[in-house]
Formats: sequence, C-alpha cells, structure tokens
Amino acid sequence: MIVSRFSRVGTALYGLLVSAAALADEPVKGTDKTAIAMFFVFIAITLGITYWAAGRTKTTKDFYAAGGNIKGWQNGLAITGDWCSAAAFLGISGLIYTGGFDGLIYSVPPFAAWPLMMFLFADRLRNLGKYTIADIISLRFSRVPTRTLVASAGLVFVVTYIIAQMVGAGKLVSFLFHIRYEYAVCIVGALIIVYVAFGGMLATTWVQLIKAVLLLSGASFITFMVLKHFDFSMSALYKTAIDIHPKGLAIMSPGLILTDPVSSISLGLAMLFGATSLPHVLMRFFTVPNAKEARKSAFFAATFIGYFYLLTFVIGYGAIVFVTKNPQFLDAGGLIVGGDNMSAIYLAKAVGGDVFLGFISAVAFATIVAVVAGLTIAGASAISHDLYANVFRHGKVTEGEVVKVSRIAALALGFLAVLLGILFEKQNIAYMVVLPFTISSTVFFPLLFLSMYWKRLTTKGVVWGGWTGLLAAVAMLILGPTIWKDILHHAAPIFPYKYPTLFSMTTSFAAIIIFSLLDKSARAKQEIASFDDQFVRSQTGLGAEAPTQH
Amino acid sequence: MQHLYRQIYADPRFHELEMKRGVLSWTLAIIVLATVAQYIAATAYFHEWFSATISPESSVTWGIVIGMVDCVVYILFVGFYIWRANNEFDNLKDAIVADAHRLAGDKGEK
Repeated sequence: MIVSRFSRVGTALYGLLVSAAALADEPVKGTDKTAIAMFFVFIAITLGITYWAAGRTKTTKDFYAAGGNIKGWQNGLAITGDWCSAAAFLGISGLIYTGGFDGLIYSVPPFAAWPLMMFLFADRLRNLGKYTIADIISLRFSRVPTRTLVASAGLVFVVTYIIAQMVGAGKLVSFLFHIRYEYAVCIVGALIIVYVAFGGMLATTWVQLIKAVLLLSGASFITFMVLKHFDFSMSALYKTAIDIHPKGLAIMSPGLILTDPVSSISLGLAMLFGATSLPHVLMRFFTVPNAKEARKSAFFAATFIGYFYLLTFVIGYGAIVFVTKNPQFLDAGGLIVGGDNMSAIYLAKAVGGDVFLGFISAVAFATIVAVVAGLTIAGASAISHDLYANVFRHGKVTEGEVVKVSRIAALALGFLAVLLGILFEKQNIAYMVVLPFTISSTVFFPLLFLSMYWKRLTTKGVVWGGWTGLLAAVAMLILGPTIWKDILHHAAPIFPYKYPTLFSMTTSFAAIIIFSLLDKSARAKQEIASFDDQFVRSQTGLGAEAPTQH
Repeated sequence: MQHLYRQIYADPRFHELEMKRGVLSWTLAIIVLATVAQYIAATAYFHEWFSATISPESSVTWGIVIGMVDCVVYILFVGFYIWRANNEFDNLKDAIVADAHRLAGDKGEK
C-alpha cells in the first residue's frame, strides 16, 4: 500500500514539474538546460532511494533513527548535509560579497559550536537519548509538561527555519528555471513530503549524504578555479578584491555589517550556542549503532564542515572579484540580478562556464531540499514521538500508530512549509535564519546543558524557566526593529536590538535556575536524587538504546 | 538497572573516568570559548586587531588568518578528544561496567 501511494505521489510530482516547466514565463535558455538536466537526475536518484528506503521503514526506530544502522562515515556526511544550509553556502558568500569580513561571523562562531557540542554534549546525549532532544531533557522530569515545552519550542524552531529555507529555495528555483515562485515552492514541498513521509530517516540520510558530496565537490572546484586564477596566492586574491570592492580596504576587517557591539555579541552568542543545540542535527547522533560510531561520525562531520567553512574564505572574496564588475550578472543599477545570495552561483558560471553553473544550481537546490528534509523529520518526531505518543497517549501506543502519525505529521509540515513559503515570499530571509538560532540558544542550549550538568534542576525549573525563555525570545523578536518597525510599520521598535540572544539567553538561564531553586516539592527531591543514576548512565551508556537487528 | 548504577557509582574508577573526561572536555571547551570570545570582541570593539596585514606587502589580514587557523584548530581538537575517548575512556568504562555486571551477578540479582 505504501508503494502504491508512493508511486501516485511520484506521478503527481512529475506532472507538477512538467506543467511547471510548461508554464515557464520565459523561453528556456541554453544555459539552463544543464541545470534542469542535473536537477532531474538528482530528483530521480533521490526518489529511487526513497522508494528503497520506504520498504525498510516500518518501526518508529526505523522512522526516526534509520534503525540505528547508519555507519559513522555516512552519518558524518549526512550531518554535513544537514548542517550546511543555504544560509551557509549562498548566504555567507552573499554577505561577504556586500560586507566583506563581517560575513565570516556566520562561519567561525557556528563552527566553534562543533567542538563545544562534542566536548560537552555528544557522549552524554548519545547515552541518554533515544530519538529526540526531548528524550534527554525529560528523562528525570515530569513527562507531560516537559515534553510539551520542548516539542513546542521545537516546532517554533522547525517552522521558522523552514520558512527561511523555503523562501530561499523558491527564489532560487524560480530564478534558475524560469518558473513561478509558487510552483517552485510547491515542487520543494512535494519532494520533502515524499522523502520524509515515505522514506523516513533512511531516505533523509541519503538525501543529505548526496547533497554533502555535491556541495563539497562543487565548493572545492570553485575554490580551486579562483585560486588558480591568482596562481594560488591568497594575497593576490584579496588585493584584487580590495581594489574592486566599493568599500575598498574595509572589506578585510570587521565593522561593515555589524555596526554596534551589542549586535555583534548577541549574534555571535546565537550562532555559537544556538548551533550546539540544533534538534535536527542532534537527532542524527541516534542513527548510528554505538558511541564509537557516533564519535566517528562527529569527526567526519567536523572535518567536512571545517573544510567547507575554510572554502568560504576564498569563495566569498572570489565572488567580489569575478561578479562585481561583470555586466552579465548585474542589473542597470549595478546590483546582482536575483539578489546578493546569487553571488556564489554567478561565481560558478564565471569560473566554470555553463555546465558548471548547471551543476552548482542543482547543488544549491539539493542543499535546501536536504536541510528542509532534516527539519521536517525533526518536526515530525516532535509531533508524533513527543506530543502524540508521550503527551496525549502517555506512552500507551503501538509502533504502527506512531509511524502513521509521523507520516501524517510530515505531510502536514510539508503543506505548512509551502503555505508559509508563499506567505513570506517578500521577507528578508537572512533575518529569518536568526529566529531559529535565537530559539535554540535560548531554550535548547540552557535546558540540555543544565539537565546534563546541574543536579539541582527540577521539573518546575525546566517548565517555567523554559516557557519564560521561549516567550521572552519570541517577544523580543516581535517587538524588535525587524518585525515591529520594518514588517509591521510601527514608528519605533519597543525592544531596541535586532538580535536578542544576549538578553533572552540570560533571562532563560536565570529563570530556569530560580524556578528550580524555589521548587521544594517532594517531586523535586526525587528528581534531584535521581541525578546520580542519570549521571552514571550519561557516562557509561548503560540502559541506552541498542540498534535494530536486520 | 538501578542497582548497576549504584554499583558503578560506588566504584572509585568511575570517578576517575569522570574526572579525566571532565578535565579534557572543559580544558578544550574553554580554549574554544576563548577563541570565539576574542573573535566576537574583535568584531565588536577592537577592529584594529583584525585589520593589520600579516606583512607590509601582503593583503592578507590577521582577521582572515586567525579565522582560518581557528577552523583547523577546532578540527584537531575534535580529533584529539575522540582519540582519547576511543582509546582511553571507553576501555576504562567497559572495565567498570563489566565489573559491575559481574558483582551484580555474584549477588544473584541479574
């Protein structure tokens, strides 16, 4: 039945693509043929994998954790694919293109999150959890209120992150393939639903793995060609960039984008601590059979992600050199056609010609699809595993029921993604990426950290403190300059800063600690007493999940 | 399961494991935090730290060099932590868990 449903969706998707191509606003140019061909190859391969994965996705463990049977190196690549969003590839290049050095604040602090997560979280996470971060946070605490909080924050995180990716995807696909924005968003949404609802974590893993290989090879090639042009001298590259860029020497030092210290600190904190606690990335650690493989995957991921960020130092400045003065990429006003985020795409054309442009376009598309798939599965697990199975049904559910709810949740999230993608078409996507990182650094990081390291934490602390943090973060974002002033058109923002993490994270930590210390209930005493057992489990893995035997 | 947890908690080697892992984790974590703090401080307040070029004839600034070196150092740190965890901590952990199982088995409370 799954298979027949799957093929029906596949046919519908194919029909949608064909009609979308037929409705193209402009005639298809020669340059785009390679892009479209590669785009179809990617879709065909990933749908084939989804078909194969659908046959192997039966239990909840299959659905959320690919049965726990992914190999370390595979998971390392999949994490790379999950981590490097369109913001990392197109966004950083675009930011460096306009603001030079400040664009790198989107690469160095988030990458520092990687070793930090490894040292403080990875082993304990693996030993304590099952599928989601709510498993870890709720281990010692009252199940219903804790999971409700973590799953709610998780959904806010997933939805805001998905909006940013969908808007980016829609713009990119509609621009590259000359189809309407709405169709582009529908194509992405349909693909995600098929991958996640049918193929679960196994299909998602392979989509992310393929995307990581494509992204790393594409970015390596761009870097190689840029450096080759300058006889492998970084100095010559930067010198030319300084000569060409209107801001001149200023692009080599901070200060062009981040003009006040509070913004720099707050954004830096969001990027650093937010990135240590991303639910969709952390859940990937449960897809491998044991702690050793989990560490191996962490090492592969750190190496690939670090390598990718090193490439951004060349690609961003390469875009300044090759795109700035090139009339074929600029409109009458000297601005990039399609927006700053297109700078990496044009750089690909400048150094590699039309075929390579096609390849990079397909890479950019795969990048977005893979990240949205990872987010969708994280959102589906929050709905089915945390809310449905543990909150509404109090754990009294069958495997089949939970998997069914997961598939429905993936379908619903896919539709929601399309709807929100269309609604938010005109919004600033670079800013939308700040929202999920603010939620992650304000809610997930303090809760994960304190639940693993602080004995005195209690249910009241988690629940009251967590909601305080979540509401504070959301309120500060809504009342801040971007939403209150720019989107809602009020005269002045009520909360003065664009990036609230410095304040919201402090509030959250303070609230969690104060509510815990004030909690003198009998339940709290039990929770504190059970810390030592949890601590032994977190260090040894005794009592943790074992992989499914196939 | 709980009696095993208690058994392990009473084992002095468990606290040795926890101490060794803690020292390594926190030392590396603090170094990483310091590099990020320096990075953010330089972006927020001390632009001149990052604006100086590495030599008069080069266009490469210290900001770029430090950023790239940080990325490489983070990878090496992760590698070093994993190497110690796989070779040292895991062996110690396995020995502790095996002994706890054996002791629990001796007492007949499987």
